[in-house]
Amino acid sequence: MIEMHDVWKVYPNGIEALRGIDVKVDQGEFVYIVGPSGAGKSSFIKLMYREEKPTHGVVLINGVNVKRVRDWKIPYVRRRIGVVFQDYKLLPHLSAYENVAFAMEAVETPKREMKPRVQEVLELVGLGDRMKALPSQLSGGEQQRVSIARAIVNNPTFIIADEPTGNLDPENSWDIMYLLEEINARGTTVVMATHNKEIVNTMRQRVIAIEQGVIVRDELGGEYGYED
Amino acid sequence: MKIETLGRHFREAYRGIMKNSWMSFAAMGTVAVTLLIFGVFLIFAFNINYLTKELDKQLAVRASLQDGMPKAKQVEILNKVKQNPLVKKADLVPKDQGLEEMKKSWGDANFIEGLKSGDQNPLPDIIRIEPSDPKKVKELESQAKSIDGIVATDSGGGVTQTLLGFSGVVRNVILIFGIALSVLAAFLISNTIKLTIIARRKEIEVMRLVGASNWFIRWPFFIEGAFIGVVGAILPIGILLILYQAFFDTVNSGAAYTVIQMMPVTSLGAYLAVSTFVLGAIIGISGSLLSVRKFLKI
Repeated sequence: MIEMHDVWKVYPNGIEALRGIDVKVDQGEFVYIVGPSGAGKSSFIKLMYREEKPTHGVVLINGVNVKRVRDWKIPYVRRRIGVVFQDYKLLPHLSAYENVAFAMEAVETPKREMKPRVQEVLELVGLGDRMKALPSQLSGGEQQRVSIARAIVNNPTFIIADEPTGNLDPENSWDIMYLLEEINARGTTVVMATHNKEIVNTMRQRVIAIEQGVIVRDELGGEYGYED
Repeated sequence: MKIETLGRHFREAYRGIMKNSWMSFAAMGTVAVTLLIFGVFLIFAFNINYLTKELDKQLAVRASLQDGMPKAKQVEILNKVKQNPLVKKADLVPKDQGLEEMKKSWGDANFIEGLKSGDQNPLPDIIRIEPSDPKKVKELESQAKSIDGIVATDSGGGVTQTLLGFSGVVRNVILIFGIALSVLAAFLISNTIKLTIIARRKEIEVMRLVGASNWFIRWPFFIEGAFIGVVGAILPIGILLILYQAFFDTVNSGAAYTVIQMMPVTSLGAYLAVSTFVLGAIIGISGSLLSVRKFLKI
């Protein structure tokens, strides 16, 4: 569960990216974050995985106040969160299997537990037969699948996806959305920032619209609400 | 930390070194030069310490008795000396015994024989006084001098003090050089680690995102720095021990009487190796620490 109470994010250059955000995302929800460029979506997303600290207000991730938690404990908060990016952030010298295993190794999972789990998630994302391929040998859609597999391999309680379909063609975008929907159906919360009007309008999930650092709309089964 | 994780950190550190092999090699070279200078300092310091202890053990006041003094009077003065609480031990050394001892210590009997004028022994009868506290040898000397019948005293303390004073200056100069070079070596290691951090920034970013602990991310960099430091220490240890052994042999093959009493290589070797390895590791880890603090934002 993620909660924000009167959250402000002001950068050192004086820009107020977020102004008095109040929001609550429950376990198992699928939420789209929409809004024009520069509206504060990225800052909102970064607060959720504690890449940024709020300037003012309270951000609770699974009940932990991320502003007060000591720095050395932050990694343990992040282990309950999976993050997916538009540019995949895969390590180019590692295979699909190794990229996913890397996430398990980083949290010191015993080696004997890694292999079955990595194979399981790669099969779940439809890459059971491409495990040995390097990112350069995979299509954009496949790379994003590896990135999603890496995000879910440590069993997070929620996935934060920052424009995961931003670099993909419509067909691949829909494949990724179906995958995220399936992960959500298994009980994982998904929060996704997007500019994809078609996806938001078709999926009809909760939509939070941010403009000039303020939540201007928060509706269940909402629409995108902006022109492309 | 799990053994599996430790193994992974060592592998990653090795990867870092191999990736910037030339830079790592340069850093190891600087550490080696630094530790060579530091090693000279350490050898000097160990030997000064050793020499001071040895000289302290041998420190004694030689109180010369008036020439021609009857034996009974000599014993009376000896008993008077022994009453002084600063005295640990006092013995009468007749002039003939003194000459024999001198022959043995100089190792050149003919030279000593040459000091004799005819059959006359030029040495006086003396009382050799060992102090209970080597630091109070001067005080003991002046008290002995005030006793009637003692015409002159000598403690040799002046030589020790001069030697220690000179050694102190040389030691400080070497120490300053060593510290300056250590800082330089640490900066060079820091630069090498910086390159590794830059080369691995994507991995570090992913590790942060998936929740790797801060120490999990930092460990390979510390191991890399420590490894550069320790490997850089091997060469100077070898060179210093070989040179020291050669110097030791040269000094000890000369005159039997010498004021320089060097620490044996067997005793010095272990101290030198451990100290140099530890110093190498400290320089390496300090270099890593500099870079990790500056460039590794977790």
